[in-house]
Amino acid sequence: MAVMSVSPAMSTAPAEVERPEVEETVKPDLPWLVIVWNDPINLMSYVTFVFQKLFGYSREKAHKLMMDVHTKGRAVVSSGPRERSELDVARLHQHGLWATMEQSGT
Amino acid sequence: MMRRRIRMTRKQRGCELHLPPEERALLEMLPKELAALLRGVGIEQPLPESVRRLFPRAYVRDEEAEQIYEQSTRRELLESHLSSLETLRQYAHATHLDEETTAAWMAALNDLRLVLGTVLGVTDEDVGIPDDAPETEAVIYQYLTMLQAELIDVMEQWLPDPVAGADDLVPEDPWGEPLGGLRWDGTPRPSWPPRPDW
Repeated sequence: MAVMSVSPAMSTAPAEVERPEVEETVKPDLPWLVIVWNDPINLMSYVTFVFQKLFGYSREKAHKLMMDVHTKGRAVVSSGPRERSELDVARLHQHGLWATMEQSGT
Repeated sequence: MMRRRIRMTRKQRGCELHLPPEERALLEMLPKELAALLRGVGIEQPLPESVRRLFPRAYVRDEEAEQIYEQSTRRELLESHLSSLETLRQYAHATHLDEETTAAWMAALNDLRLVLGTVLGVTDEDVGIPDDAPETEAVIYQYLTMLQAELIDVMEQWLPDPVAGADDLVPEDPWGEPLGGLRWDGTPRPSWPPRPDW
């Protein structure tokens, strides 16, 4: 049995999306936002658990953020300077969560 | 009532595993397969679809920043995946796990589910596994899901107390509305579900 060698059932490549022109101006003062996106595989209880573990949030807060991810499609889970946000994103990636970052106000 | 298959130990943080041999054989085989697949890809090559979910993008709109992020994190992320998978393989027949090993089991199970789920075409959480998915893999995916849920039940109880004030540092949801209208960058959403690439 070679479970992992099954070819993907469908392409997960995202559709080509027209991207708006992004301003190149660096805005060093504005904090960065770490965003977690909904995905169909991670368990809701697991996502809540990871928010509590990584950020020290209360169970209620972590649950609310998870529900935002679940119902709204995404949630901002932390914010701060760029380096700090990159670290948060990397830790979320290590836990298998689908996290990205954006500078606020862009 | 069914006896719990994964039980917390009392004296020291850890758990006892009451799993049948056939499940353990699976828990030994699966991480070996995924680790071989990941080692084959390494850090230089582009990621195949099946494992892309284990290496998500950090920057969606800035290719240059994304490349730098990937260069500085991919090796570590790969090592982290491989290390958890190796722990699961190594302790697949153990009857007792300490806290650290339990955490590695959890991480490995999640990686396996992410890859299997992708391979099976799980793209909608309400639909779950598509009807035409291969049956063996579908059953394994469901098994891993159940096992991970059991581990979460245990590990939740080991979480430290919340950090005072941490809840208040989360910024208010800048969007308010559910996705469906605009994306985070203000452009219309192309389709459901959101796909800022991974």
